[in-house]
Amino acid sequence: MIRVGVDVGGTFTDLVMEAVRPDGTQQVFVHKVPSTPSDQSVGVVKGVIELCKIADVSPGKIDALFHGTTVATNMVIERDGSDVGMITTKGFRDILHMARHKRPHNFSLQFDVPWQSAPLIKRRNRIAVTERIMPPTGIVQTPLDRDEVERAAELFAQRGLEAVVIGFLFSFLNSDHEMQAKEIVRRVLPDAFICASSEVVNTMREYERFSTAAMNAYIGPRTARYLDNLQLRLRAAGVTAFVRMMQSNGGVSTVEQASKSPVGLLLSGPAGGVIGGRWTGEACHQNQIITIDIGGTSADISVIRDGQLTIKNPRDTEVAHMPVLVPMIDIDAIGAGGGSIAYVDSGGAFRVGPRSAGAEPGPACYGKGGTEPTVTDAQVVLGRLDPEQFLGGGLKIDPALSEAAIRAKVAEPLGLSVKDAALGILRIINNHMALAIASNSVARGIDPRGFSLMAFGGAGPLHGVALGEAIWAKNVISPLQPGITAAMGLLVTEPRYEYTRSALTILQAGDTAAFDNLGEIFDALQAEAAAQLDSDGVPATAHRFTRIAECRYVGQGFELRVEVPEGPFTSKTATAVAKAFFAVHRTEYGHAFEDQAVELVTLRVIGTARADTLRLPPLPKGGRRNPAEAALYARPTTFDDGETLDTPRFDRGKLKADDSITGPAIIVQQNSTTVIPRGYTSIVMALGDIVISRNAGGN
Amino acid sequence: MTRTIDPITLQVIGGALHAIAEQMGNVLYRMSYSSIIRESQDLGAGLFDLDYNTLCESDSTPMHIGSIPGYLRGIEKSIPITDWVEGDVVIHNHPYFGASHSPDIGIVMPIFYGGELVGFSANTAHHLDIGAATPGLIIDVPDVFAEGMLLNGLKLVEAGKRNDTLWRYISGNTRVPGLVMRDLEAQIASAELGVKRFCELMDTYGRATVEQASRQLMDYSEQMLRREIAKIPDGEYSAEGFMDDDGRTRGVHLPIKVTVRVTGDDVEVDLTGSSPQVPTAFNVPFEGSTKVACYFAFRALLLDTYTNTEYIPQNEGSFRPVKVTAPLGCIFNPIAPAACEARFNQIQRVVDLIIKALAPVLPDKCTAGNAACLSFASYSGVRDSGDYWVLIEVNEASMGGRPKSDGPDTIEELMRNTRNNPLEDLGMHLPVICDRYEIRDDVFPGAGEYRGGMGVVKSQRFLVPGFMTHESDRNEDTPWGIFGGHEGETAAVRMHNHEKGTAPVDVPAKFSGLRAEAGDVITYLSPGGGGYGHPLNRDPNKVLDDLLDGYITTDHARDVYGVVMKATNDGYVWGLDTEATATLRASLQPA
Repeated sequence: MIRVGVDVGGTFTDLVMEAVRPDGTQQVFVHKVPSTPSDQSVGVVKGVIELCKIADVSPGKIDALFHGTTVATNMVIERDGSDVGMITTKGFRDILHMARHKRPHNFSLQFDVPWQSAPLIKRRNRIAVTERIMPPTGIVQTPLDRDEVERAAELFAQRGLEAVVIGFLFSFLNSDHEMQAKEIVRRVLPDAFICASSEVVNTMREYERFSTAAMNAYIGPRTARYLDNLQLRLRAAGVTAFVRMMQSNGGVSTVEQASKSPVGLLLSGPAGGVIGGRWTGEACHQNQIITIDIGGTSADISVIRDGQLTIKNPRDTEVAHMPVLVPMIDIDAIGAGGGSIAYVDSGGAFRVGPRSAGAEPGPACYGKGGTEPTVTDAQVVLGRLDPEQFLGGGLKIDPALSEAAIRAKVAEPLGLSVKDAALGILRIINNHMALAIASNSVARGIDPRGFSLMAFGGAGPLHGVALGEAIWAKNVISPLQPGITAAMGLLVTEPRYEYTRSALTILQAGDTAAFDNLGEIFDALQAEAAAQLDSDGVPATAHRFTRIAECRYVGQGFELRVEVPEGPFTSKTATAVAKAFFAVHRTEYGHAFEDQAVELVTLRVIGTARADTLRLPPLPKGGRRNPAEAALYARPTTFDDGETLDTPRFDRGKLKADDSITGPAIIVQQNSTTVIPRGYTSIVMALGDIVISRNAGGN
Repeated sequence: MTRTIDPITLQVIGGALHAIAEQMGNVLYRMSYSSIIRESQDLGAGLFDLDYNTLCESDSTPMHIGSIPGYLRGIEKSIPITDWVEGDVVIHNHPYFGASHSPDIGIVMPIFYGGELVGFSANTAHHLDIGAATPGLIIDVPDVFAEGMLLNGLKLVEAGKRNDTLWRYISGNTRVPGLVMRDLEAQIASAELGVKRFCELMDTYGRATVEQASRQLMDYSEQMLRREIAKIPDGEYSAEGFMDDDGRTRGVHLPIKVTVRVTGDDVEVDLTGSSPQVPTAFNVPFEGSTKVACYFAFRALLLDTYTNTEYIPQNEGSFRPVKVTAPLGCIFNPIAPAACEARFNQIQRVVDLIIKALAPVLPDKCTAGNAACLSFASYSGVRDSGDYWVLIEVNEASMGGRPKSDGPDTIEELMRNTRNNPLEDLGMHLPVICDRYEIRDDVFPGAGEYRGGMGVVKSQRFLVPGFMTHESDRNEDTPWGIFGGHEGETAAVRMHNHEKGTAPVDVPAKFSGLRAEAGDVITYLSPGGGGYGHPLNRDPNKVLDDLLDGYITTDHARDVYGVVMKATNDGYVWGLDTEATATLRASLQPA
């Protein structure tokens, strides 16, 4: 069995291969190549082929390829998705513009309203047509004006739009008009990405449903093109493995499913990192972890409590301040990374990010034409990134270019030395990240002093100790392969598919027919999940299904989840579900009203299967202190306190279990660099992860 | 006791307090039944010390934030601090004893730690109906007694035992007991959670540390605000406006005058010169509403959370530098038993006039004239079963242009920040149907380098006969432009009957207890904000965007913004004529 994980970030494409040979011996190989933003599949395939060479495996022998991508997320953050048209109900053209009319800040006059200042669908491309479906039954009061739909589609065609959303009021009760309109648009725009709101998420509340569909369409065409390209290139390179996409909910799905519903991929990249972080934590015997995955463009923060991923309440799931009603891990992304650009703004303020130099041109030191200084350039100027070690020497970097960029764009305008400007860049970006960590931990009542900070992503361990200090983390973990942690996480996932349908039913008042209907819906949803798992090649014996009823008291606005046993849905089941609902309500709110009617709103089936998981070989025991065998050379390095010290470098590949390294030191490896300042000591764990702690007696 | 807490512990306790308030707010709105609480989140929740200082408050609706200390001080008149018993739950809504207004019912629980009273856990929520003269909302009523049940510091639960007589009394005096009583349950659950979490916090850090940290956090917030006040030149700044009418006496404007006096790092808001109190419910409770509005204004202006990166905890500290003066007997400090339920429009205007008064010295922090109003609409009726249905809805408005950005369109501005009701949720449960909900298309946005925001148009239709009350204003006093920007637009309220096909008729912004027939449609058009800066300085690309998005016409673009368009064939019809624009603008540029 040969499995490959590929995680594409804004700057780098990370790869890991686990090869279990027929004789049972197991090997793990990692690799990293620059991302190719114009078509990321180029970098993916290049990386896979190179990795095959490293591992001496023929590409055709790979059985499974697991893929996490930030393609969709970056499109939203950078707002360079497709131009989308929307066909909606007459009289309701601006639901997406008004949102829930609540402003994002209470105590502010100057706040931004992202859904108005950078809309997914511009008002000019939202066209309202005549049609009307009426609650509460979904009867058609005014039939759809098919000519208006056709004219709208023709206008969209003339404008060159490549995606269209159909979103009508009350389509969750009756999707007929949405489906008709979709057919018409499909006829006029056969190649466009078209989705109806009720297909994307079939639930009540128009803004949230339209927003989810708009997001799906906004990222749809480019995501689908990317996935198509990827498949074609893989086949052309002789890779016949099945491909699975990492989803926001922490499970994987097929490429076909992901192309149809790209909205499930919005956290595809960061999800692998969090899962990899949890898995690394287990190896380090830590189950209270704050993960921060620092890449070139962004940093992703998540909290693992008692070894459990934090899953967002489905009513709170937002991406870039816009609701996206799909299950997702609670991950906070901020625009801060190695590629974040430092500049002096028009008011003379020193700023860093969120704009990023990305992979092309990349930081100034890459010599690819970038003239703006980045966080990476600051690290280079301070002597923390050695040119010959960067990506194992695979990418040439030129410190003179870093220095020139910092001098011209920051140091001179502000009257600072290059060194002070570089230190300032780091101080600003670290503060930005520390505040974001605090708002995800301290602000939620989580005391970071009981948590390990796991800093990964290529740039993570450069910032780890500074951030750990700022948030007062218990210690800092630099995983075995910091630059590849997210890719490794891909190899410890399992398939996970969720199917939902709204079917409002009062549990205490339902009759046999109503309950039979629920049972049939559950069976149908489960059949969909099973078919999906079958097509993944998961044997039926490995399928696992969870049935969920999302319920509320009649009149409430928020649902709570209750698990439903398999088998026919009878009045007994209804009683059991109501009883379980009371218990959940009591746990959540401290109260339950056992005499009140409970309304089942949405049925959900989650299909999963136990999958193979990655195993790393333990390192040989070392137990050495600053081992000479791993020492490379020493070089002047400037730390955050401004002091420049002659600092030894250690080769991470030569460290063994229980070795310790005392700061000041720098540990280098192909995909990352770990900075250990004075006053800190690091210990190598059994599988090669490094735990860094303040020296006892130090501050 | 007075030793300083280390900065980490301080931040952790500050974060924990914030988290407790947020959780209290979440329980309240997630568990509640009426849409005004569960969807609109018209509520507030927090923890308070024995001096009734706010330790933390949920980030919900600004109107509620800062009002609860008034409730606590009012309750003290009935329940001295020595009379609290563990497990008590007190209910309170009396506007002359600190309540914000009577429908905002407060629920307060004492927090005992180690047998000693250490603070209070409390929340407020806007209730759908408290048995007033007309369902839901009231305006044209004679006195405070017509507002419905007045609950003045009553123990709803005594030492853990519910007072069933009081419970039945409340249940029997609201038109919608099924919602109100369960919303009260949600409020109690939220307060209980606050008690539990605060005790846990004391378990972790010790009572002395928590109390010391609370003091330091309040001092910190106070200092942050004082630092900003000190930057304003000392002096007296004033601004004036007027309200349409009091809801009964048509055609008589009510003047509003705001004077801001800055002295060092202190500031006073003096409302002297504003209208005397009025004979309807269009008065403003002083403690629970007038003061809160002034506190809000300075936080939003000077500690703007969007432009400031430092996190400033939400507590009593930010109230301390602000003194509020309103002569007894004026609209902002009425004398009992004047009714004072309909107070939101007036306090919005207080905030807006504070901004206007200070704009000349705070050009980078102010806005042009905001809509600064609130359309509160109550729709109700009696079902065949004899039960009432009541819907209260808040309609959004817009903001004026700002130093670096356009005024937001269709948004909750200033003291309000509720969420709208999903139309689909309402449609499933109530006999009203929304016929139109989008951006106004009958007026242009207030022109400026940064234009004013656009208002909303919303039409609700009765499917069955019922009652309606509308509390709103600003049909007559137009939001101003600033620094060369043009003024915005006033609001309008119109009515017609869908079934009879009658033409829409303009009606006043305020009306009470209107009997509606099936097919009656009420259309509300909210005000548009004024422009900031001269329109000739507006980026021509933004003018093109406004044209393509249907907010303005080519004539308007040329005449007001000096931007000339030319035809295109890309499906968008119009593009920018850069050369003609440069020529035209050069000829129009003010000397």
